[in-house]
Amino acid sequence: MTRLPPLPASIEVASGAFDPLDVARLWIPWRADTRTRIDSLPFHTDHAELLHNTETLAYLIRSYTTWQMTCAGLGHPGGSFSEAEFLAILFNYVLRFDAAAPDWPMRDVFYLSKGHACPAVYTVLAVFGYFEVERLKFYGMWGSGLESHPDATETPGIEVSGGSLGQIPGVAVGRSLGMRFNGPDHGDRMIYVLMGDGECNEGSVWEAFMAAGHYKLDNIVFVIDYNKVFAKGFLAQDMSLEPLADKLRAFNLEVYETRNGHDVAELIELFNVLGAQRRGKPAAVILNTVKGKKVDQAQYNPNWHTSAPRDAAAAGLWIDELWEHDGKRLGIPPEFPEALKAITEIVPPLHAASDTITDRQQ
Amino acid sequence: MAQFTLPDRAKTKEMRYQMGFALADLADEFPRIVALDADLRSSTGLHIFEHFHPGKLIKSGIAEQNLVSMAAGLSQEGYVPFPCTFDAFSRRMLDQLYVTVAYSNLNVKFIGAYVGLFTGKAGATHQSDKELSVLLRVPRLTVLEPSCNAEMRQIMRAVVETPGPVYLRIVRCEVADDLIGSDYRFEIGKGVTVTDEGSDVGLVTTGFMLHTALAAADKLKSLGIGVRVDHHPSLKPFDRELLYDLTGKVEAVVTLENHCTSGGLHSLVAEALVAKGVGKRVGAIGTDPEDFIHTGHVNDLLWRYRMSSDDVVTMAQGLLDRVAR
Repeated sequence: MTRLPPLPASIEVASGAFDPLDVARLWIPWRADTRTRIDSLPFHTDHAELLHNTETLAYLIRSYTTWQMTCAGLGHPGGSFSEAEFLAILFNYVLRFDAAAPDWPMRDVFYLSKGHACPAVYTVLAVFGYFEVERLKFYGMWGSGLESHPDATETPGIEVSGGSLGQIPGVAVGRSLGMRFNGPDHGDRMIYVLMGDGECNEGSVWEAFMAAGHYKLDNIVFVIDYNKVFAKGFLAQDMSLEPLADKLRAFNLEVYETRNGHDVAELIELFNVLGAQRRGKPAAVILNTVKGKKVDQAQYNPNWHTSAPRDAAAAGLWIDELWEHDGKRLGIPPEFPEALKAITEIVPPLHAASDTITDRQQ
Repeated sequence: MAQFTLPDRAKTKEMRYQMGFALADLADEFPRIVALDADLRSSTGLHIFEHFHPGKLIKSGIAEQNLVSMAAGLSQEGYVPFPCTFDAFSRRMLDQLYVTVAYSNLNVKFIGAYVGLFTGKAGATHQSDKELSVLLRVPRLTVLEPSCNAEMRQIMRAVVETPGPVYLRIVRCEVADDLIGSDYRFEIGKGVTVTDEGSDVGLVTTGFMLHTALAAADKLKSLGIGVRVDHHPSLKPFDRELLYDLTGKVEAVVTLENHCTSGGLHSLVAEALVAKGVGKRVGAIGTDPEDFIHTGHVNDLLWRYRMSSDDVVTMAQGLLDRVAR
């Protein structure tokens, strides 16, 4: 069980001003009880509400993540934005969990295998109540409990530490075998592994696929965020995965491919299908996405794999763009992006430098 | 299923086989124990475990990275996994051990089999003598190396009863059943004084090399040199207090390890003595850190690396400024 340290500092919002961190004013989870999954099919009256609610969540994930990374002078916007809709639908609709009891033994398991894309995951954990939304401001700060790459012993909601790629798919294999040994009462539990496409260059990923296929672990869903872009280049140029679906099928995985991994309606449909498709094989989802999605500057651009906006002004442009793109049509008041910009500042180190060190990071 | 011959438990002295029996016994008592094999089970001794607990030995195939990752996942559902392959192949999964297991503080008990020189004619790829240099620097990881079968059984039990990641180094060859005495109780983080007969030279040893140290102690005693032998089955955490007690009494120290002389026991001793300003001379018995272990009979390897009890005697005499050779 993890125990977070106290917040390093409080965030001042002028009295009477719009509080951008009061999430409940903007959005509440679609499910009242995240321990239960309720299907929503297109003819259900609540279906439109699920779409709107989840799109709003994806918008908030991108906005808070921009704020978080800018305050930290740290982070991976490209992969955080390509996975935003997936994280939104997973936590809002699919995954069974309890933020008040992260170790609830009957939970579904979410593994973040591409650990560098944790800023968006920290955001989704915060808005679902694993910890305070305020804490996001202190991402990467000494003693904040939010490491650059996730530490499972510190941060609630993180199942296993990661950041060195290609290791966690194999952990999912062992976890699934453990669930099988636990007996039929654990038969309904699912494991979702969010992986990077570039991560699939690692040989250990294919060791895990081989074992998952061999043991017919049909409660694992390997989700490959196929945003086509590496940290320093493009998959098609540097090291391609194609033909990816054929490779996955050859490893005895049941392959699903999205047309658009940012289309929430399609993701709902995908998980409605996956929820009824235990075929004695693990599932692999090729999530076709765009790296840096919804910020023009960052889209399909490896230069924004690792770089946070360099200051509050640069972050402000992103926060505005996200509101113009999504927030406005989803009914988010214009006061929200303004208020979020107003609390964006680079968090200074705890200690003055005793020696002169030049480093762009704050 | 592949068929294997089980050794006679009452007769076999090979530590690998006795480990297999010990793990099978523990799994009777602790039903959450499972083991994982990377296609070496009848070499490591895990085939014995599988004989008594079919279905509890999980195969990763020849995939050491996945061996450790799978063990990590099993531990997260409350199982106590013992992944086991040749110690030399730990080089293939060190990052899984560092990041997934130790950084996440998972209850994984890795057994490195076929440790060091006492491994048959295996050669540089299969004989491990450098691995401690990294394993001893993995935070949270406990590293243990038993000397004899009785101690190995105690260590296996302690490993099950103590939560957290552990690395256990097991030799393939025959070892004594008990080198330390029936009163001995193993404790993680503690060394043990096995003989204390005089204060000229201290032999500080771990793992199989306790056998060599005791043989050397007999020879030194017959030469009129007082010897104390301290055995350190717990390399991490390391019992510095026992070491300081020894160096407060003896004139010189020789370290003995089934590993190269850099990064393992000798380095632990040197760091501890420097930290306290203890100016004792410390000789090192072990393999050469700049050499790949070539294939050869173990006798010839011991000759090459000067690791016999006679070499210990020579080194101790040299350190004591007595007549060498």
